[in-house]
Amino acid sequence: MNRLRRLVHFFGGPAGFAGGCIAGLLLLSSIFAPLVAPYDPLAVNILDKLLEPDETHWMGTDQSGRDVLSRVIWGSRASLAVAGFAVVIGVTFGVAIGLFATWVRGGWLEQAIMRVLEAVSSIPLLIWAIALVGIFGVRDVQWGPLTISSELKLMVLLGLLYIPTLARLTYISALAEVASNYVAARRLQGVGELRILFSDVLPNCLSPVIVQATLMLAIGIIVEAAVSFVGLGVQPPTPSWGNMLSNGRNYLISGEWWLSVFPGAAISLTVVAFNLLGDGLRDRFDPRHSTTMGYAT
Amino acid sequence: MASLFLRRLGFSVFSLLVVSLLLFMLTRSIPESPARIVLGDEATKTQIADFDRQHGLDRPIVVQYAVWLERLVLKGDLGRSFTTGLYMNEQIADTFPVTMELVIVAFVLASIVSVFLGTLSAFYRDSLVDYFARLLAVLGVSIPGFWLALVLILAFAVERDWFPPGGFVPLSAGLGPHLLSIALPCFCLSVFYLAVITRMTRASLLEVLNQDYMRTARASGLGRGRILMYAMRNALLPVVTIAGVSFGHMFGWALIIEQIFNIGGMSRALLTAINQRDYYMVQTVVMVFTIVFVLANLAADMINGWLNPRLAAAAA
Repeated sequence: MNRLRRLVHFFGGPAGFAGGCIAGLLLLSSIFAPLVAPYDPLAVNILDKLLEPDETHWMGTDQSGRDVLSRVIWGSRASLAVAGFAVVIGVTFGVAIGLFATWVRGGWLEQAIMRVLEAVSSIPLLIWAIALVGIFGVRDVQWGPLTISSELKLMVLLGLLYIPTLARLTYISALAEVASNYVAARRLQGVGELRILFSDVLPNCLSPVIVQATLMLAIGIIVEAAVSFVGLGVQPPTPSWGNMLSNGRNYLISGEWWLSVFPGAAISLTVVAFNLLGDGLRDRFDPRHSTTMGYAT
Repeated sequence: MASLFLRRLGFSVFSLLVVSLLLFMLTRSIPESPARIVLGDEATKTQIADFDRQHGLDRPIVVQYAVWLERLVLKGDLGRSFTTGLYMNEQIADTFPVTMELVIVAFVLASIVSVFLGTLSAFYRDSLVDYFARLLAVLGVSIPGFWLALVLILAFAVERDWFPPGGFVPLSAGLGPHLLSIALPCFCLSVFYLAVITRMTRASLLEVLNQDYMRTARASGLGRGRILMYAMRNALLPVVTIAGVSFGHMFGWALIIEQIFNIGGMSRALLTAINQRDYYMVQTVVMVFTIVFVLANLAADMINGWLNPRLAAAAA
């Protein structure tokens, strides 16, 4: 019981814990999609097309007779992969740039980096994501031995668009750490500046970055769905929540509601989960913020 | 105030320069040359070289950028698409007002309702209104607008015919039909930001109400209305900032919402351009959106400077 309470506390309260649990379950079901999904998500069966939800097909079937539940489960792979890898790219480069700017602080280079980052932060994310994927095309591109799919393009672009926010966040917290007494003490011990940055400063400024990254997962899922919805992200027949919604839209007027309602519900559930988790982690690991949010929740 | 304005304006111009240069380099780095798209695969090398010379594409990127910028700033001329030959000013003039109207109506709706709801929620903390506002705030940020749009079309346009399922009726066809045609799109567009701003208003107002000077104000017997007025002036600062950012972001979501409701705004211009591989039109649309985004942030900063003179003093 005590252990459970500690676990709930780790996630910053019951809401954060619930978010963490749902996010964990979604992640597991997407990893083990072949085992969890009752049918093959690509298996076409014209005889069973557009069946209403019943006990054999819990979420019904689509216009080709494919099982919607199985497609929703497999579709989570595309959504979570795009959102997840974009965040990994954003965090890796964002933290590196933020630390680099701290390292060269006090010079023109620091000023230049920070001004450019601020300027690039004025990019509206969704429009740029749609336009850039559009510019670079949805077809697979052969680049040497590598095949670049539209999912990969979306991941990289989204990751690049995340970098400015994360770099500024790292820089602001790192700058506060560098000015603190324990860093001065480390310097007196004769520890090199780079070593201090990586072994002392970095671990101490990671918590706001992790919180921001969790919230960015939620944004990434919505952006992936939106980009796929306008036909520029994950390409059919590979299921993704966005392209399933886009397809379901054509059957809305004729009354086949289950084609669009279930993928949309999956997006909402995932976004709720990551938002709750992010808010919980913020209360727990970003105490300065939690004091102001304390009135709010 | 003037100093704050000049400073923010300078930074906005700098942002736009950096971002437009980035965008320009990206559109010029696509693997297909516009000459290939227009002339087809059979075009000879000389034909392509001629095309590039005619359109100035053989010059270095920096020179191309300078020419583009000079025309835009001095003449307000966005240029002509290489691929379709259409004047981009006309295309933007046809589609931009539609998107702008949707966004402004949605923005006004979201701002008024959310500031009202957030204020009630903070003033009557832990009351029914407060629970309702908090529930709305969580739901609103989690339900994607495009899904909400589909559900609302199903409920109010397919099952009942209260609203048209899509399409845009211009104002010239009558006020009633016009409002009905934009009601659902504007609602879907506003829900997310309504939630965000409600949450921010509530949190910010609660923080201000807990300050010492507010306790002093209450202790000295000021009425509720007076207290609210003083508190709002301070509490609105982060709300205005968030609202400014929201206004810019709404244009992004407007693209998706327009698609669903089949409204011929900027989204049609952008997606048509993408399908026709008209990269210069794509670049123009994105640039227009980015300018709106930067201007909205600038406006938010100005309103904050006016609400709180200390900010303006700090910039002087």
